[in-house]
Parts: sequence; C-alpha cells; structure tokens
Amino acid sequence: MFEIYHPPFTTVTEDTEIIVEKQGDDIIYKRLFKGDEEKELVLLNNDGNIVINPIEPVNLPESITSFLLIEFKRSAIIRPGDKKKIYLKFPTEIGVFVTDKSGKNYEVIDVFTLNKIKYTLYGSHTQGMICRHWESDIYTDEPDTDNLYEGFIELSISNESNHQMEITKAIFNAYGMKLYFGDTRLGMRASMRIINKLLAETDFSTYPTTSRFKRSMELYTTRKLAITTTKGIMEFGI
Amino acid sequence: MNNSNTNSTITSYMPALSDPLLQITTVIAILFFTILLAKGITIYLQRALKDKMDKEHLNILIKSIYYGAIVISIVGVIFPYLQIDTSGLLVAGGVVGIVLGFASQSIMGNLISGVFLMVERPIKIGDQVNIDNKLGFVEDIKIISTIIRTYDGLFIRLPNETVFTTSITNYVANLARRFEYVVGIRYSDSADEAIKIIRDIIEKEPFALVNPEPSIFVDTLGDNAVNIIVRIWAPATQWYDMKTRLLWVIKKTLEENGIEIAFPQRTVWFASELNTRKMSDISETGYDEQ
Repeated sequence: MFEIYHPPFTTVTEDTEIIVEKQGDDIIYKRLFKGDEEKELVLLNNDGNIVINPIEPVNLPESITSFLLIEFKRSAIIRPGDKKKIYLKFPTEIGVFVTDKSGKNYEVIDVFTLNKIKYTLYGSHTQGMICRHWESDIYTDEPDTDNLYEGFIELSISNESNHQMEITKAIFNAYGMKLYFGDTRLGMRASMRIINKLLAETDFSTYPTTSRFKRSMELYTTRKLAITTTKGIMEFGI
Repeated sequence: MNNSNTNSTITSYMPALSDPLLQITTVIAILFFTILLAKGITIYLQRALKDKMDKEHLNILIKSIYYGAIVISIVGVIFPYLQIDTSGLLVAGGVVGIVLGFASQSIMGNLISGVFLMVERPIKIGDQVNIDNKLGFVEDIKIISTIIRTYDGLFIRLPNETVFTTSITNYVANLARRFEYVVGIRYSDSADEAIKIIRDIIEKEPFALVNPEPSIFVDTLGDNAVNIIVRIWAPATQWYDMKTRLLWVIKKTLEENGIEIAFPQRTVWFASELNTRKMSDISETGYDEQ
C-alpha cells in the first residue's frame, strides 16, 4: 500500500478502500471503510501524484499531542551503567499526501489507521502530558510486524545512573520520529538515556534499521512548525 | 530644598559648563547612556518575561519602562544639570498627581490587577472559565479589563480588579477532566453484564484515558433501579464532546443487549380480587349495568 500513485487509481486494504478519480483538471479523493464513505475531498486544478506512507502515530482522531507512550507488557530491569538494545512495537498511522509534479512539495490530505486508538495521561494533572497510548511486549530481536498495523522501534537503552532501573514505559516525541519502511516492515531507531529513577530522555536516530528501507514523508516535518525539542523527556518516572 | 540639594549633588559630580556646545554634548551623552541602559533593561525583560506574558502586554510594559527611564533621566538628571529649577514642576506635578489619583483610583486598581493577572496567569486566552459566575471562553485579557464570550455568545467585559479579587474556575487549566454518569438499570437485568458492556464502550473510545483509568460500579440499589456509576477521565479539551455523546451510546448499546434503563414504577397489591371488566363493554351499552 505504501507507494506513489498516479491518479486515477483504487487501492484496497483490509476493509479500507481508497478511490482517486480524475474529473477534468480536478481530482476526487474518497476513502471508504466497509463500503461506507469516511472521507471525500476535491483537489482543484491538481495534476500531482498521491503518496501513501506511514506517519507519526499521534494524529487521530485529532491531533492533541505529539507524544507516544509505549507501555511495556513486562517490565525491563537494567543494571547501572549498562547498555542494551531492545525492540518495541508501535502503532501505524497512514498518511495520504498530494505532491506536485516535482515531488518536492507535498501536503497531507488524509490520515487513517487500522488500529485501536487510546490516549493516556503521563505525569501529574498540571505538569504532565497527554500521550497516545500503546502497549507492547519487549523483544530482543526484530519482532514480526505487519506494517499496516504496527512497526518496530529499535531502542538502545543506557542506564547512566548508579542504580538498577526498572523500565515500564517509554515516551517518544513525534517531532523527532524518523520512519523508514520496506515492503512489509516499518521501523524506527531510537535511544533512551536513563538519568535517574524519575528522569529519562528519548531521541531518534536519523539512520534506518536496515539500508533497504525508504524514508517516510513525515507529517511533523511537513508542517514546518517551530520546534523546540525533538526529544521525549520523561520527568515523572520510567 | 530637596530640589536644590539634588541640583548641588548632580552639579558636584558634573560641574556646570559655561560653553553651550559642551552642555549640549553632555546632555546628548546622558541621553545616549540612558537610552542604552533602558534598551538593556527592556531586552533583559523581554527575554525574562517572554514565556510569562503575551506579546501585546509585554510590549506595553517594555515601552512604559523605556520611556519612563528617559523621562526620569531628563527630569532627574538633565534638568538639574542645566540648572533648570524643577521645584515648581514637582509641586504642580504633585497636585496633578493627587487629583488624577483620586479620579483614576479604579482605573489604577484595574491596571495593577491587570499586570498581576498577566504575571500570575491563572487564565489564558481561549480558556473556558467561570469568573464571578460568568461562564465562557476568555476572548482577551487587556490591561484594564478581561473579555469573556459566554456559551450563549454574549460579550462580557469584566474589570480586571473583579477578575483578580474573585474566585476563578478554569475548566481547562489541568490536562485531564473527569465526568460521571448514573445509569439506572432494572432489577431483573444483570449489573455485571451492564458493567461489561459499558467498559467495552469506554475501551473503544479514543479519548477515554487509559490512565487515570475509568471506574464503573454499582453505587446504589435505588427505589426503581440498580444505579451504576460511570466515571471517565478525558483530555480537558475533549471532555465536553465526549460527555455529551457517550451517554446515549451507552443507553442504546445496553438496550441492544436486552438491558433496559429503568423508570419509576409502583406495584400495587389489592387485599381482595378486583371485579374488572373491559372498557369496551361499558362503551357499547352506554352505562355500567352493575
């Protein structure tokens, strides 16, 4: 599903069908779920291509946060000063972009997901943050994933404290996410630096988990917003 | 007396120059240093208060400090240096000050309250608030007054003194907010089943937060119904939409699963059997034969 399309075209995935038709100089974009129309747009005077690829999973049903919290199904314990690479799963959100002929300028026109969406509060009611919630097991090798539903994060954890640490969750900032995808898989490479029991920092690497993967068009880059930080700061515990 | 003392203090540090050209040069130098100092202070304040005040009000504050420093420099340093007697000016200024002070007492109160509101920031533009029993959105916080747009679309201007001295309820200051439903089901229905159905509905709701988790429990065995309390936490920005939508979804889903919402009813027991007949028998004969 993740590729560049030249209108008109139709693509069907699970219960979701995307129909793009040409009407003169205009493009009609329709997305149907189980036959029911969920979104319809008219792109006026448009002769560009349509790109469908995975995006940062923090946009649905509407964008209220840029943080993704992955809760571990089992806690992980790391020794002081130790470093370890683990794998987590994260939910896929799919972005539909319209590009111009050059392919350099693009704009998102639709976002959808095949996953369940839930949000949670991390930290206190006044100082904490609302995060997209996802639950994942901890894997020591790359887990099997279907890129329409889930991707994986290769997370390098380093415990810089003098104490053994129990990790139950990780928070990632969408502004730092670098998504790479292949034919069937979707991956990100991230790091987590544990400073103490209440403080940790996560960040993303600009390199893909494998060189065969292509870089995804990211929504939080295309918005061109002033970004203060790309890191996920966990100051209310790990 | 004081003024002459100030003059002598300033002239002792900067002796009066007879050459008018030198006087002008010195005055320009004093003004230059004052402007430099005022610029430095305003740049510092701009950086320090950038996150604490909104741009418009910060500009007003910075301009006041900038021009205030220049006025103080002119009146307090340049005039005495040029041996201009400012005593008359000070007396006149004092009298005018007292008159203006009485006349603008409430304005000053509102102004000072406005400054404190901007620094303390209990409310922000766009927040949903209850101030002095006025409910609505904060449209603007000006230096003298705060503008509220009520949920009915009315424009309300509240003096900042009222805003500052009254209790403020800010509905969106915290990240999450809880709402509650009471769902009354019949005694003949299973409360366990109803709780499971309601839990499933909440589980499917994206903005029903995982943490703090929702709580659903049988609260009371009422006169007419088994009352189930449903408490859900939602992001403060999504709270109202969810609250207005979810109760009907719960009602419909319960009914689809054979669980009825109870309504008040009373069972009456008669000591002896009632001698009843159909209403149609009475209407055919036109009268009651018994």
